[in-house]
Amino acid sequence: MEDRIVEFAGLLRRSGIRVSTAETLDALRAVGTTGLAERPTFKIALRAAMVKRSSDVPVYDELFDLFFSGVGEVVRQTNAAAAQGQQMSEEEMRDLLDKLAELLKNANLDISELAKALALQDAGEMERILRELMESGKLPRTETNYVPPGANRQMMQMLGAADIPAEFERILDLAREQGENESELDKMRRYLEKRRKELDEMLKGLLRLDKDQQHRAEERQKDRERLLEKSFYYLSPTEIRQMRDAVAALARRLKNVMAVRFRQTKRGRLDVSATLRRSMEFGGVPFRIRWDDRRKERPQVIVLCDVSDSVRNVSRFMLQFVHSLQDMYSRVRSYVFVADLAEVTRLFKDNDIQSAIQKAINGDVVNVYAHSDFGKAFLQFHRDHIEAVDSRTTVLILGDARNNYNAPQEWVLGEIRERAKQVIWLNPENQSTWGFGDSEMNLYGKSCDYVEECRNLRQLYKVVDLLIAK
Amino acid sequence: MVSPDAAFDSISDVRQRLAAQNYICDDNIATVVYLATRLGKPLLVEGPAGVGKTELAKVIAGGLGAQLIRMQCYEGIDEGKALYEWEYAKQLLYTQVLKDKISEVTAGATSLADAVDRITAQDDVFFSNRFILPRPLLQAIQSEQRSVLLIDEIDKADAEFEAFLLEILSDFQVTVPEIGTIEAKHIPIVLLTSNNAREMSDALKRRCLHLYIDFPTPDLELEIIRLKVPEAAEFLAQDIAGLIQALRKLDMKKKPSISETLDWAKALVIMNAKSLGDEVVRNTLSTIAKYEGDLRKTEKELATFLERKKAEQKAKDAAAASAVATEPTDGSDLLH
Repeated sequence: MEDRIVEFAGLLRRSGIRVSTAETLDALRAVGTTGLAERPTFKIALRAAMVKRSSDVPVYDELFDLFFSGVGEVVRQTNAAAAQGQQMSEEEMRDLLDKLAELLKNANLDISELAKALALQDAGEMERILRELMESGKLPRTETNYVPPGANRQMMQMLGAADIPAEFERILDLAREQGENESELDKMRRYLEKRRKELDEMLKGLLRLDKDQQHRAEERQKDRERLLEKSFYYLSPTEIRQMRDAVAALARRLKNVMAVRFRQTKRGRLDVSATLRRSMEFGGVPFRIRWDDRRKERPQVIVLCDVSDSVRNVSRFMLQFVHSLQDMYSRVRSYVFVADLAEVTRLFKDNDIQSAIQKAINGDVVNVYAHSDFGKAFLQFHRDHIEAVDSRTTVLILGDARNNYNAPQEWVLGEIRERAKQVIWLNPENQSTWGFGDSEMNLYGKSCDYVEECRNLRQLYKVVDLLIAK
Repeated sequence: MVSPDAAFDSISDVRQRLAAQNYICDDNIATVVYLATRLGKPLLVEGPAGVGKTELAKVIAGGLGAQLIRMQCYEGIDEGKALYEWEYAKQLLYTQVLKDKISEVTAGATSLADAVDRITAQDDVFFSNRFILPRPLLQAIQSEQRSVLLIDEIDKADAEFEAFLLEILSDFQVTVPEIGTIEAKHIPIVLLTSNNAREMSDALKRRCLHLYIDFPTPDLELEIIRLKVPEAAEFLAQDIAGLIQALRKLDMKKKPSISETLDWAKALVIMNAKSLGDEVVRNTLSTIAKYEGDLRKTEKELATFLERKKAEQKAKDAAAASAVATEPTDGSDLLH
């Protein structure tokens, strides 16, 4: 069983759940304490020791069921089919099994464990043998669902039961020696022949199961990778939902990292007056030293999001990201624009993040069916909101810089840069297309501190990290 | 009754002893608690606010007859607040009172250095167990019996504190430079609770067993209401559980937990509400919905809930009526 649990830990890891060696050892101890008899208890014990994140629990549940009930299921199903397929009454069957059991007790009979279990329909023993085979991790694996012809023989060899027919023949010989009559022998032969075929079925079932487990683990891993790399441009509604969760998770992680960074700089210089005040209770002896709380200055962020059709998805996640991290900044102000520009900061105050985003990008605040005009939007920003930008402000602009050949008004950006701490432009377009056609990226880029391509979650994460680190 | 190394004998023993403390738990909780006490591993309990995480620690202590030592974490908690502190004020007071004795010790000293040496020789007096102020962690370690140490809301504490805690939780010994190393006489049962304000470090998670307590299932919730608010009429308790379960499916800012359910049930009993249809019920909704938006959603859900109940009742009445209507004909058939 130990190998089995270790292997299960491996499977969890491949599915993206982090399980350390220490945790696997805990799992072994836990199972040693509760025992294996009750499957639900066993399941809970393993989870308590190995799965520490509640979001991983559904994955764990699925894998557990797949992993720990699979083999038994295969054996039981085939056995059930076997019981139905025999043209014998229950009584005859029992007689036959009794006879076989009697025969197999003979010490001189050279017969493998597998053949014995198979002949006696010993489901528990079969399960154990097959499970061991599966645990060995040496099952023949193929890319397709097709089972290669040699696979069964290979597995039989691994089981140390290369020649089941010969072994069964030996049982029949022994029965003959002991004076069994022909009709009984015939019955026995037919039965054993059938069992042999059923073993074939079981082995095939085992292969399928093994494949299933591998496949499931790989799929999950691919899913996650895919989501990280997937371009924001092409997302199905389900993927938008998944992405939303992924963005929220990234934001949480970043918050933790940030919390540490802020704290490292927390203790400042000696605070003389506070120390003296504190020393009063000890008769003027400064037992307790007080330090200044030096707060690392939290950045202010202004986000300008293009919400025209072409980049809407990116804006959606950018807004979500920035506002999920709101407490990392002293202030976040967000604006959306297509041709006109409007502030949406209030929307985020009054609504929860998702509905605020919906409202911001769905045309409630600016006309989203207009043609993009960055120049006009910048002019409006300059007219109404330029005072919001000061030397502590990071200005984050998100857009493809496709200006429909309107006047770019890049001087506004230059002025913003002079006032701001930094200006970052995120472009969801592939970098190789910047500057072609109506793209003004190169012109605008001159007035920015950073211009980054931001087409997928991985890049978004990198950008946000950059935002806080500075 | 208290054995020095109190522990649970089996999973069902856990369930029974907790039930005796008025705490109903499912297989999941019982199994993990049993494992944690058996393996001597800290238990990290996570879940939404108000599902009974802190309560769990209390009832474990109650069930084992062990002392509960509680440490509430907050931002900025440090070793001094968690482990031990020297009682400066007391030390100072003693030096004042014992001034004469001190001059006696230093009497006849030929030089300042000599005087300092003599006082240094008496150091141990001032840095001894007498002047140490044990905080929860040290209390748990020094405890004469196996105690239950509750480290509440660990997610509020800083990451550094978490690291410091790791050290204590793996060795259960503390080194006080002036005194020496104090080893735990009994490994305490440690429960850490977290509301997931931030995710705990992997290092901490690795050292703990993990328990996630979710909102209870409808049956369990009803059972808890019956146990904790026995004054509530049975059908009222059922309606409460039904409505709360429906509310949790909504997108609320703060979903009602079991503690809110109980508060509400108690409020309804005090207000003498006979059913959820009563006018007074509206006034008590603030016990389960803590935000304006949530309150509106709750009111709406209550209305649909009552509507549905009414429809069900009507259907039932109609069925009963038709049953009554057919009965006489049956009877008359018999008469024939």
